[in-house]
Amino acid sequence: MELKFYIESGIIESFVLGLASEAEVEELQHMRRLYPELDTEVEFVERRLERAAFDEPAMPPMEIRDRVLQKIRWEQGHAYSDPSSNYTFINIQPKDGSHITVHRWWKIFFIIFFIMSKVFLFLAIFYYLKYRMSQEQHSFNLHQPVKQEQTSPSQV
Amino acid sequence: MRRDLAHISEQVLIERLVIGDPAAKELLYDRYAGALYAVVLQLVPVKERADDVMVRVFTWVFQHIGTFHTSGYRTLFAWLMRKTRELAIREALPETALTGSALMKLEEGVLQRFYLMLPADQQQVFRLSYFKGLSITTIARLLALPEEQVNDILGDAMKSFRQFLKDTWN
Repeated sequence: MELKFYIESGIIESFVLGLASEAEVEELQHMRRLYPELDTEVEFVERRLERAAFDEPAMPPMEIRDRVLQKIRWEQGHAYSDPSSNYTFINIQPKDGSHITVHRWWKIFFIIFFIMSKVFLFLAIFYYLKYRMSQEQHSFNLHQPVKQEQTSPSQV
Repeated sequence: MRRDLAHISEQVLIERLVIGDPAAKELLYDRYAGALYAVVLQLVPVKERADDVMVRVFTWVFQHIGTFHTSGYRTLFAWLMRKTRELAIREALPETALTGSALMKLEEGVLQRFYLMLPADQQQVFRLSYFKGLSITTIARLLALPEEQVNDILGDAMKSFRQFLKDTWN
């Protein structure tokens, strides 16, 4: 009779909702040790509350699920993978025929090609200028003896 | 969610969570997120904050699932709901401290409906206790009432809640 009165006081509901004070929680745990049938009553109350909550769920955005699962993956050190997951990959490449896909090595090849072309261009200009200078020097040397030859008979 | 785990019992789910099974964690989320989000929305009126609470709840649960058996709770949902409310109140207090009006209007729910059925004095105490997470001592000080009286009013509200649950979900 006393136990029934205790149950009807709403102490279990108060505990389940988290509203019971520390003293009330301690008392309830003590009573549960004395009367194990109280455990069944606690479970009844919890199941009623569960049914009530499941009758009116509010689905959270998918973004929350992603954030929660992301945390699981971090905790697993990126080792977590679900072999049975059925992923769908979507190719987002445009199909207009104006795009091609090439291996990443081509990027390095084009960078090297670009740099080499600049080097060769520089060398070509450099040697061209050098060639021009040597040509000018050569023509200058050719004209010098002629002048000397032209001036020498008059001196004589 | 992995299909082979979809129908496992609560006990098996807890055992797999204790050993850190990632698929069990995923299942826990899929099974309880909807019911818990409804609880959070009644306590945290700001959507972004409510979303953060959900992430925090599940992060905490994954780390502390081992304490379930010593918590005094018999079902996983009640244990989750208790922690969800605790974290949600921590998030809600700075914004809505002691006003409560915005909170009450935002989301319908089981506890909201129950709250509206209560007499005025029980409504006041239940709101401050459940939705605001205030202690009996603080509520007594706020309402300028003796603690015993506040305790009795909350006790009456809990009796009504017992009846409310039994009448609808027995």
